[in-house]
Amino acid sequence: MSTNVPAIGLPSRWILPAAAGLVLLSFVAAIFLGIVDLPARDVLSALTGSGSREARSIVLDIRLPRIVTGILAGMQFALAGLLLQTITRNPLADPSLMGVSQGATLTVTLFLLFTVYLAHPDSYSVNELPIAWLPPMGMLGGMVSGGIIYILAFRLGLSPLRITLCGIAIGAVLHAIAIGLIAGWGSARIEIILEWLSGSLYARTWDHALFLLPFTLAGLAMLPLIYRPLFLLRFDAAVARSFGLSYRWQFSVVLLVSCGLAASAVGAVGPVVFVGLIVPHLARFLAGRYFPLVLPLTIVLGAVIVTLGDLIGRVAGGPEEVPIGVVTALMGVPVLLALLRKVP
Amino acid sequence: MPLTCSQLSVLYGRRKALSGFSLSMEKGEVRALIGPNGSGKSTALQALAGLIAPSQGRAEIEGVAVAAMSRRAIAKKLAFLPQQPVAPEEMTVAQLVRQGRFPHVGLFRSYGRKDEEAIEWALESTGLAGLADRTLQELSGGERQRAWISAALAQEAAILLLDEPTSFLDIGYQVEVLDLVHRLSRERGVTILMAIHDINQAIAVSDRISLLEKGELRFDGEPARLAESGLVEKTFRVRGTFVEVAPGKPPHFDVELTKLRRPAS
Repeated sequence: MSTNVPAIGLPSRWILPAAAGLVLLSFVAAIFLGIVDLPARDVLSALTGSGSREARSIVLDIRLPRIVTGILAGMQFALAGLLLQTITRNPLADPSLMGVSQGATLTVTLFLLFTVYLAHPDSYSVNELPIAWLPPMGMLGGMVSGGIIYILAFRLGLSPLRITLCGIAIGAVLHAIAIGLIAGWGSARIEIILEWLSGSLYARTWDHALFLLPFTLAGLAMLPLIYRPLFLLRFDAAVARSFGLSYRWQFSVVLLVSCGLAASAVGAVGPVVFVGLIVPHLARFLAGRYFPLVLPLTIVLGAVIVTLGDLIGRVAGGPEEVPIGVVTALMGVPVLLALLRKVP
Repeated sequence: MPLTCSQLSVLYGRRKALSGFSLSMEKGEVRALIGPNGSGKSTALQALAGLIAPSQGRAEIEGVAVAAMSRRAIAKKLAFLPQQPVAPEEMTVAQLVRQGRFPHVGLFRSYGRKDEEAIEWALESTGLAGLADRTLQELSGGERQRAWISAALAQEAAILLLDEPTSFLDIGYQVEVLDLVHRLSRERGVTILMAIHDINQAIAVSDRISLLEKGELRFDGEPARLAESGLVEKTFRVRGTFVEVAPGKPPHFDVELTKLRRPAS
C-alpha cells in the first residue's frame, strides 16, 4: 500500500535505509571511541593490519569482538522480545517472562558454586573462573526453564495468559533460589556473578561472538517461516484458527525461536533483557501502522541500542565501566514511559 | 451436501452445551440459528467450524469429517466469524482483510492477482474500499464489524458461518449485512449459517431456521412453519403473535411487552 506513512512522517521506504545508516554510524563510533584514547589514524591502520601492536590489540582483540558480540546479542534480545510480545499479546513481555534469564542466572550460579566455590571454600581467594563455560551453561538453563514453563502452560491449554502466569510463577521461584544462593556466599565472590547478572559486554572475545553467530543466523533463517503466522498469532486463537492457522503448532514454533534467541544471548552477555522489552516498542512506534516494517526495524534497532548503550557505558564510566544492562535500563525507562503515554 | 452434522454433542466440563444437534444444509441455503442466550448457538457454530472437539457425533464438510481436516483445508472451504473477535488496534482494514487469504497463500506463496481481486471484492462488498488504510481503532463499531465480515469474505469459502453478525450495528448496517448475506447465497451460491437474535430478521432472510433451547434442537424447518408452531413464544418465554404484513411476505412477530407494563396501583 503506497499510502502507508509511518508515524514519524518519513516515507516507509526511507526508514530501513535510515536505520541501516544508524547501525553503521554506531558501529564506527564504537570502534573509534573508547577508554583508551586512540587517535583515529591508529584505529584505521590497525583495521587494515598495520599500526602498532598496542593499537591492533585494542581494536581487533578488545573493541571489535565486543562490538560484534553486542550487535548479535542485541539483535537476538530485540527479536526474542518482539516474538514473545506478539504471540502473548502482552506489551510488557520480555525474555524474562519465559523464565529464560532467571533459569540462566540459576544455572550459572549453580555452575560456579559447584565447580569453583565448593572446591575453594576460602571466601577471599580469587579463583581462575571457567569463563568459557558460562555461555553454554546460561543458555542451557534458559532453555530448560523456558521448556518447563512451556510444558506447564501446554497442559493447561497453551493460551497467552497461561504462558504469562506460568512464566511469572516459575521465573519468580528460580530467581529466588538464585538470589538465595548468591546471598549465602562470601562477599568477594559475588562480584563475578553480579557482573554477569547486570548484563555486560566487558571482556567479550571472538569466542563469544562465534558462540552467538549460529543462533543469530538460525533465528534469522526462521523468519520467513514464521513471518505470516506472526500476523495471525496477533489475533485470538479462534480467529487465527478460522483463518487457517495451526495455532498451537505455530505458537510453539515462534516460542521456541524466541527462547533459543534469548537463552543463547543471555548465556553470552548476561540478562540485558530490557532491550527485549524496549526495542519492539520503539520499532512499532517508528513503523506506525506499517506492520511489515516492525520486524526489520526491531532487528536493526536491537543492534544499534546495544552498541550505543555499551559505548556510553564504556566512555561515561571510565575505567570503572558501567555495564550495558544498567545503561539500557536507565535509557530504556524514559523511552518506555514516553511510548506508553501513547497507549490509551 | 456442503455442511452436515449428526448427533453433535459438546461438553464444557460436565455441562452439556450441545446435545444431539443435527443439521444438513443445501448449497446456497441461508440458515438462521436462533435461541435464547446460552442455548448453544455459538457452541454449535464452533463445533461445526472444528474449533471445539465434540464429545459425540461429527461435523462434515462435503462428506469429509471436519476433525480429520487441517486448519488450512477447513479455512479454504469454510469461513467462520466469531462473536466480537479481537485484533490489534494498530492493524489496518486492508491488513486484516489480507489475512483472509492465508488459507490460499499459506506460508510462502506470494499474493497473486486472484488473491488481490478477492481482497478488493471483499472490501467493496462490505463498502470498505475507501477505508482500507484506516486502522481498526479509527473505525466505528459498525465499520469494524464489517471489516471482519470482509476478512471472512476474502477467504472465498463456499460455506460461511457468522456468529451474530448484526449485533452492534445500527439498523441501516444490519439491513446491509443481511442483504449481503442474501446476495452471497443467491449470486455466488454460498451456504450460510448464522446465529442471530432478531427473530424477524431471521425469518425474513433465511430459507430455513434451526431453533435451539438448552443445547437441544427444538425446531428445524421453514420460517412460515416456525410461525405456526408456537415454539418461539414458548422458548423465549414471551407473549406475541405472528402477523401477516403483506400477502406472500414472511410473517412478522409482534411481541407483547407485558413485562414492561406497570402493575396497577
